[in-house]
Amino acid sequence: MAELTQNEKRLLATLEKEHKADAEHLASVMGATPEAVVQWAHLAGDKGLAGVERIVVKEFVYTDEGKTYAKNGLPETQLLRFLLPGTQLADLQKHEAFRIGFGQLRKKGLVKVEGTSVAKTPGASTDADEAALKKPSSADPKTKELIKRGILRESESVKYVISATPAGLSLAGQGLDLREETGTLTRDQILSGAWKTANLRKYDVSKLPKKAYPGKIHPYQRIIDEMREILLDMGFTELYGSIVQQAYWNFDALFQPQDHPAREMQDTFYLGETLPLPKGYERVKAMHESGGETSSTGWGGTWKEAKAEQCVLRTHTTSLSIQYLAANPNPPVKAFCIGRVYRRETIDTTHLAEFEQLEGIVMDEDVHFGNLLGILREFYHRMGFEGVRFKPSYYPYTEPSLDAEVYVEGIGWIEMGGAGVFREEVTAPFGIQYPVLAWGLGVSRIAMLRLGLKDLRHLHRSDVAFLRETPAYRKIQGGA
Amino acid sequence: MAVISLPYRYLERLTRTDRKAILDKIALIGSDIERTEEDHADVEFFPDRPDLFSPEGVARAMRGFLGIETGLPVYPVKPSGIRFTVDPALADIRPVLGAAVIRGVSFDDESIQSIMSLQESLHWAVGRGRSKVAIGIHDLDTVNPPFHYIASRRSRGFIPLDFTEKMTMDEILEKHPKGRDYAKIVKDFPLFPLIVDDDDHVLSFPPIINGERTRVTIDTKNILLDTTGTDRKAVGVAVNIICTAMAEAGATIESVEINGSQTPTLAPAERVVSVKECSRLLGIDLTAQSMATLLEKMRFGARPEGAEKVRVQVPCYRADIMHDWDIFEDVAIAYGYENLQALPPSTFTVGKPHPVQSFAMIARECFCGLGYLEVMPFTLTNEDVLYKKMQREEKKGVLHVLHPISIENTVVRTELLPLLLEFLTLNRHRELPQRLFSVGDVVESCVTHQQAAGVSTHPDADFSEAYACADAMLHELSIACTVKESEDPAFIEGRRADILVGNKKVGVFGEIHPAVLNAFELEHPVVAFELDLRAVPGYPVL
Repeated sequence: MAELTQNEKRLLATLEKEHKADAEHLASVMGATPEAVVQWAHLAGDKGLAGVERIVVKEFVYTDEGKTYAKNGLPETQLLRFLLPGTQLADLQKHEAFRIGFGQLRKKGLVKVEGTSVAKTPGASTDADEAALKKPSSADPKTKELIKRGILRESESVKYVISATPAGLSLAGQGLDLREETGTLTRDQILSGAWKTANLRKYDVSKLPKKAYPGKIHPYQRIIDEMREILLDMGFTELYGSIVQQAYWNFDALFQPQDHPAREMQDTFYLGETLPLPKGYERVKAMHESGGETSSTGWGGTWKEAKAEQCVLRTHTTSLSIQYLAANPNPPVKAFCIGRVYRRETIDTTHLAEFEQLEGIVMDEDVHFGNLLGILREFYHRMGFEGVRFKPSYYPYTEPSLDAEVYVEGIGWIEMGGAGVFREEVTAPFGIQYPVLAWGLGVSRIAMLRLGLKDLRHLHRSDVAFLRETPAYRKIQGGA
Repeated sequence: MAVISLPYRYLERLTRTDRKAILDKIALIGSDIERTEEDHADVEFFPDRPDLFSPEGVARAMRGFLGIETGLPVYPVKPSGIRFTVDPALADIRPVLGAAVIRGVSFDDESIQSIMSLQESLHWAVGRGRSKVAIGIHDLDTVNPPFHYIASRRSRGFIPLDFTEKMTMDEILEKHPKGRDYAKIVKDFPLFPLIVDDDDHVLSFPPIINGERTRVTIDTKNILLDTTGTDRKAVGVAVNIICTAMAEAGATIESVEINGSQTPTLAPAERVVSVKECSRLLGIDLTAQSMATLLEKMRFGARPEGAEKVRVQVPCYRADIMHDWDIFEDVAIAYGYENLQALPPSTFTVGKPHPVQSFAMIARECFCGLGYLEVMPFTLTNEDVLYKKMQREEKKGVLHVLHPISIENTVVRTELLPLLLEFLTLNRHRELPQRLFSVGDVVESCVTHQQAAGVSTHPDADFSEAYACADAMLHELSIACTVKESEDPAFIEGRRADILVGNKKVGVFGEIHPAVLNAFELEHPVVAFELDLRAVPGYPVL
């Protein structure tokens, strides 16, 4: 049996004498509030030591109006008393009870008007109504009538009757330790040695305390940090850069033709701002128009400076990768970036206008397409995905291109990211002489798997309860 | 993306194998099977391969990939004797014309649907929504050559497809559904492009709509294809893709004379590519012969030239081959991605975190230590949240996106604090106290930097709590600063302070103004703190 609290013991000791009493009475005996007594009784009740009986008492109470009538009689009674043979209606009207009382008298047929005078009908009496007022009873239709008239009101009150069970009585009979309990161990008790005799209250370990919520990293940030650590472990340098990019770095430097649908206002967030083109942009222009000095034909047509000067919210972090390569054209380069990117998408459960993208690049003398597959396989394995496979794909700035798929228990193969070798049309204008392997993936896709999210918006407009409940660590199995 | 419907029986007949063999391997040439139904599969292909946007094109590629028929498909073309004239006035309107005669077609409802959907996919992938290329298909036997591509007055009328009444071209732009959809391509020109026959019957008003007269039906035997546009290469590819698809279906192709030359020729382009370059790019050992064999599987013509070179004939329908590496990708696909050796590169490198992220992690750690829970609000927000509800003036450097998706997302955030208050609104029904923080990017005048901000709300939240939190953060980040009374209207006067490094304001803290609480519909006091992380000594300058 769980330990009794001091208050439960006191209650049982009181009940040993009283056996059965209502909460009010016990409260006055014990010097406590009735609410507290009921609470202690319930606790003792859980242990089979006390019984709590809840009794609902129905009462009739007078409304303010009713109180007056209880003293002076109902308005109709007052008028009946006033009525004498030959009483004039005009006189009766002056009586303060006339307004309500006269209507009642007429309704009950206790008076009749004869010319200008008013007379009682034979045997007129309001005794039954007065009786219902003095001693209301729910069986009496007259009582109901008074309730309807707003003179009486029904009211319920709850009374608790508390008793000791035989088990409770026998426990009390064995004698209870009623020494004062101490809730808190004090400095004085520790120093003086009073702790030796102190009766420290024992806690019920089956009862949870009020919850404590630690400060925590967001579960999505935790996944980002995990990826970041994997890439740092794999020898990659981290990149960080501006959200606002020139169309030149976001599209043109990546050989995205100026009439490409992804560049249109429907897909990309444009800003009113423009920035001057960097030195050497002519090589990018030549690449678009005619393939520059490579085996490429280029896109043909005329490349327009004005289109490249427009600023956009970056649609991918590849804009940072190409700038990093342009500034570091000598091998080896291994870099990655996890950052927010922007697409002009209608927002729903699986599409956001802004989301995190992970992107990595490797540039080195002898790297090849097979190495790209090797890096991706390693990365996904470290993220917990055992099955990884690749299939052909298309991205405007890589050739050859691939999509990576990972196997997730219970779901099957799911697409996890795209990759490829930067086209020579992308690298040549910046004097990059060796292949650049590049890959990207949507971080939120992994977050959805890991966190079991049905709606991506919850990552960014989170319910605090979700954040508090999501544990800092969860065992990852099969990538999810 | 283009999703192509592939009827099994037709596909099997053209590919000369069963559906299982095809569907097992179809993803390996670069596609996604969207769904398989009883009688057909819907398969998505990439926009760089419009030649795969028809069952005929898919069958041609799969015959090669499965080894049923490899090498360059040859499409004989003989002159039809039909001639087109092109009005020089079209030079600034829609100058490029491509055309062909396709004879001996046998249509049923399904194959008409198939060619229409190829036409629509090409309009999307090659034609940029008809502005760059638009395609018209006509029953040749309803009109009389020679044909004339002219710049016509806009008031000229004809009966457009799916209508019974004659309409002027201006009326078509206003009333015909296709006219309304594509009006923006031509509406500013004084004259409109028009194709008529020698008796002045209208075939087509490109890029808007054909005439009803030349409608293709199941009785059509011979087709006239017109393709107009602004880009010669794109127009040529569209003609080639349609003609070769129809030839795969059993039709014969004839050329027409435009400005004195015969078109189309359906002849391949040639490239001589390096075996060594390809081997190095893909990481596989190739000989000229093995490379040629792989390319033949992808329907190229390929012949070794010595040990180091392969002469490649690129089929006329391949719109995507603009560089040697485009050919090398086909070598990789034929070789099979699953057969490539997936080995990480061997060069030793050391990982290096970016200092901005390292500082962000320290700020996160401190907030967590103070009991704050991290949130990651959107960076797109609106002026109402960012300034109006905060009682603050709009920042000069705030960036407005030109075409927001909704009134909720009109600007890029310049502070984090308003977004944290929005979070408290979202979580009003959750247990107090709530202490939330965020570390992340803000943008001002095109410059991105990071800030850190925290809010705390509960019935006893007061200035001292904000001060203590700010003081702890500033101490942990080694920011030597002074604090002076602030005038930030988002906070209560006398319960707010600016953080200064030298004379520069780098942060603010205090008790949020009740009017701001009202604006965010918050019921309990909120104390807050925000810091520009560039104040941290040694912080990188971007």
